[in-house]
Amino acid sequence: MHQEAFGLNIAIYFYLTGLSAGSFILSTLAYGFGMEKYKPLGRVGVVLATSLLIIAPLFLLFHLSAPYRAWHLFVYLNAESPITWGTFLLVLYPINCIIYGYFMFRENWKRTRIFGLIGIPLAVSVHGYTGFILAFGKARALWNTALMPILFLASAIVSGIALMILVCIVKDRFFSKKKEINKDLILNLGKLLAWAIVFDLFLVGSDLLVLTISHSDAQAAAQLILRGEFSFMFLFIENFFGKLLPLVVLLVPRFRNLATVTIASFLVVIGIFFMRYVVVLAGEFVPLL
Amino acid sequence: MNTKGKRYAMLFDLRKCIGCNTCAIACKSENDVPLGVWRSWVKKVEKGRYPHAKEFPLPIVCNNCENPICVTVCPVKAGIQRPDGIVYIDPHRCIGCRYCMASCPYGVRYINPRRKIAEKCYWCHHRVDAGLDPACVVACPTGAILFGDLNDPESPIAKAIAKNAVQVIKSELGTGPQTFYIGLDIDAVETADTEHE
Repeated sequence: MHQEAFGLNIAIYFYLTGLSAGSFILSTLAYGFGMEKYKPLGRVGVVLATSLLIIAPLFLLFHLSAPYRAWHLFVYLNAESPITWGTFLLVLYPINCIIYGYFMFRENWKRTRIFGLIGIPLAVSVHGYTGFILAFGKARALWNTALMPILFLASAIVSGIALMILVCIVKDRFFSKKKEINKDLILNLGKLLAWAIVFDLFLVGSDLLVLTISHSDAQAAAQLILRGEFSFMFLFIENFFGKLLPLVVLLVPRFRNLATVTIASFLVVIGIFFMRYVVVLAGEFVPLL
Repeated sequence: MNTKGKRYAMLFDLRKCIGCNTCAIACKSENDVPLGVWRSWVKKVEKGRYPHAKEFPLPIVCNNCENPICVTVCPVKAGIQRPDGIVYIDPHRCIGCRYCMASCPYGVRYINPRRKIAEKCYWCHHRVDAGLDPACVVACPTGAILFGDLNDPESPIAKAIAKNAVQVIKSELGTGPQTFYIGLDIDAVETADTEHE
């Protein structure tokens, strides 16, 4: 009886929108809020945010059993369904990204700022709504928590910063004129990443703590990710290699240099992918009846 | 709940159920349900150890909830609740996004491998509208299944529910299931560590 409802495609989709929202918010630090030291992130951020968000909905199409009916989403609307909210967000957000990017590359700073600021609530919503998609799955203890949207946003910021570090390094090293990596910027982003990881770990920890003492389904879900089939992915790949190890590397000054920050970012990007995978697949793993 | 018109409900008297799976098979042939998926099935729970053991069957169909979460989350309004309480899926509207499957607390939905859309039990509304009982009700050899109008106090189901202690599955979720059971065992509705057939 038990057919998988949301599978790998949905996990990948969540991962990509998270990366996109994270990159967008980083790009607005300079062009929306005027933090000069983050200026080099602006263009990289908007290109990443736009391209990731153009790829992401393709995985939704792969997921649909009847993809040729995808147009129904735009015609038959249900205001109560998070997927319908997503229909609008997935149209508005990439359009706004493109306009924001256009003005940035045309160096029209005033308009860049306006569309950057409009983009922030859109970026937050385009990833936050995916948290609501899962939270509305009221039968699944792992999903049905009000923490889900903010948990998703925290991991979006974490993965966004990590991806930005990697992309900046590759871009500076191979595609810039001087072939020189902006070390100050990378180390600064590393610190930002560390604090984002702390916040993310706090949320994951709170969620887990409450799950372990909540009702029986919640306890079963906690067992599944702590001791069951998903424990290796959850404990080791997602939280140890994906968060704790990078956190130590980023926070202890003796370990912090260009190479270790790169490795830490790489681990984080992998770790957050497994976070999406575990949340989506472990959530629907336990049969309901 | 509407108190005028009709309000359909289903009742399984588990004291009479012998776990023969006839309801599941009748459902399959009535509704042309493909191999590998089921609109109704009989979950079986063993209790005790030999020689003091017993098997408890639990026939499962869609609860056609009063508060259907599947209808709430459907992004294209393909899930529809009729005024008489039957919840069905518009086969021309469904896009197969599986959100209803993800959110249903009872796991009664499946993607039809041929038609590529979500399907589930809707109490054979094509039969009900023609004045017949659902296929499982007619097929049950022990008469353990009742179907009818709760708003008609003279209907057999309304009388049976009024006279017996009844239970629904997962009432705590606030979905308001309209499939009732007499003699439901607590172990039969346990979520964790259960085999799905």
